[in-house]
Amino acid sequence: MRRLLELEAEVNQLKAQAATATTAAVAAPAPAPAPPPPVEEPPQVNEVAPRLKLNVFGDVGYEWYNHVPDTFDFGSLDLFMSARLSQKVSVLGEALFVAQSDNSVGVDVERLLLIYRQSDYFHASVGRYHTWVGYYNTAFNKGEFLETAADRPFIYAFDDQGGVLPMQDIGVNLTGKIPSGKLGLNYVVEAGNGRAWGVNLEPTQNYQDANTSKSINGGLFARPDKLPGLQVGFSVLHDNVTVPGPSVSETIATVHAVFINGNYEILNEGVIVRHAESGGPVFNTGAFYSQLSRRFREFRPYFRYQYFNAPSDDPVYVYASANEYAPLIDSGFVGRLNGPSAGVRWDFTEHPAVKFQYDRYSLRGQATENGLTIQFAFTF
Amino acid sequence: MKKHNSVAPVFLAIAILAVVTAIWLTVLPHPAEAASDPIVVIVNVANPVDNLSTSELKKLFLSDRSRWDTGKAVAPVMIAPGAPERTAFLKAVCGMNDSDFGKYFLQAAFTGKSATAPKEMSSYAGLKTFVANSPGAIGFVKAGDFHGDGSDGGVKAVKVDGAAAGDAGYKLRM
Repeated sequence: MRRLLELEAEVNQLKAQAATATTAAVAAPAPAPAPPPPVEEPPQVNEVAPRLKLNVFGDVGYEWYNHVPDTFDFGSLDLFMSARLSQKVSVLGEALFVAQSDNSVGVDVERLLLIYRQSDYFHASVGRYHTWVGYYNTAFNKGEFLETAADRPFIYAFDDQGGVLPMQDIGVNLTGKIPSGKLGLNYVVEAGNGRAWGVNLEPTQNYQDANTSKSINGGLFARPDKLPGLQVGFSVLHDNVTVPGPSVSETIATVHAVFINGNYEILNEGVIVRHAESGGPVFNTGAFYSQLSRRFREFRPYFRYQYFNAPSDDPVYVYASANEYAPLIDSGFVGRLNGPSAGVRWDFTEHPAVKFQYDRYSLRGQATENGLTIQFAFTF
Repeated sequence: MKKHNSVAPVFLAIAILAVVTAIWLTVLPHPAEAASDPIVVIVNVANPVDNLSTSELKKLFLSDRSRWDTGKAVAPVMIAPGAPERTAFLKAVCGMNDSDFGKYFLQAAFTGKSATAPKEMSSYAGLKTFVANSPGAIGFVKAGDFHGDGSDGGVKAVKVDGAAAGDAGYKLRM
């Protein structure tokens, strides 16, 4: 009975609303406003599922170097996935298939990050990441298509490809803006397992850290409003490195000044690495590179000069593996390497690019190395 | 304690490169002002912002700033590629062409940034509807597509660098 009364009351209420609407319509006969046209939603590029985006990067090419047979070269196939799990949480994954020096193709989980973005001032991520050591490593990651030159500067070669800096790590990463007005300051703080050094060791300590010391990296950079395209910054990393013999305290300081706009790309970075044996000697390694390029329509000629000089008795770099970016450099390379590279990048259509590059390396105590590279880099 | 130093050349090189960079920056060409049709920047009528600098516009459209001062999420929207006003806007505000613009967001995604490319509309009617329906939206239209007499429905124009689209000193033009 009570239910019937409730229903009767609802019917009366609806009748009253309908009568009011009719009266209003008679009083104001203006036509009802047309419903807004539907907002167009163009399909999102590379969206393979409602949440998942996939980008593929790859590169192939041909190389002539004067101390090794010239060869066709499969560089890498990079599957980059990202997804937004909620408004503030996203995930990023990168699986890399890369040619090895023994002609096999290795598979590498290059990055796997769970990212929380609280605001522009605080982003936190956890997982496997590319370290913010200098500018180049996180600006270009493993995307040859995004790089102007055919390869990374020697100092920023990936650690699992013979590089000497810790380019990858497992841990946490905090980034964000610092309220600084037109100065445009940003910060980066990272804490991870650090890099492993030793013969035939995977540099990134994916499963087990070799010691209890964690790698701590911090950096600041500025993008001033007054000079659009300019970024200057520095980073300092500290870790205790476990190698055969006394433990080594490692400090890596980097500075960078880069300018990138539609036409110009000017990259300058300097690195100082300090290795101090416990109660023993100190070894300082210096390195820098400078890269200049200018776009002329679809062509971008570029020039790079790089310098690296490690003490011959450095207790850590003697364990460096063969560097795949400089074929003459065998494992355990120490000493001085310097020289110019010059080339031209041709973006002949939107996404594939071809690069022609000449390299000349001088290695202390060894013959000079000359090389030519043709690289086709693409993304889809 | 034995010391091996090979860092002196690094300091010298950094100093030289800093000087070269500074010189290069001073001789870079600056965008010339063109005296043609203005491009009107529009926001939702509920957005209290009335003026934006070019550098603020760049941050908003390059997803370098994700929230307005009111806390609303920034939702940039653009006309689809090919429109001359889009080309002019990207050049004047972002210093990019369409290819660079796409590459910027590709690189931003690849570096793990939260950058999201602006929504794209195929018509200015759709664009204005989107801005009118989204409190945090920002877009731009040709001057001929913005009447400013209340008939644009839920959107309003904002000044750029303190100048309105009708002012002689307005820089954002096709």
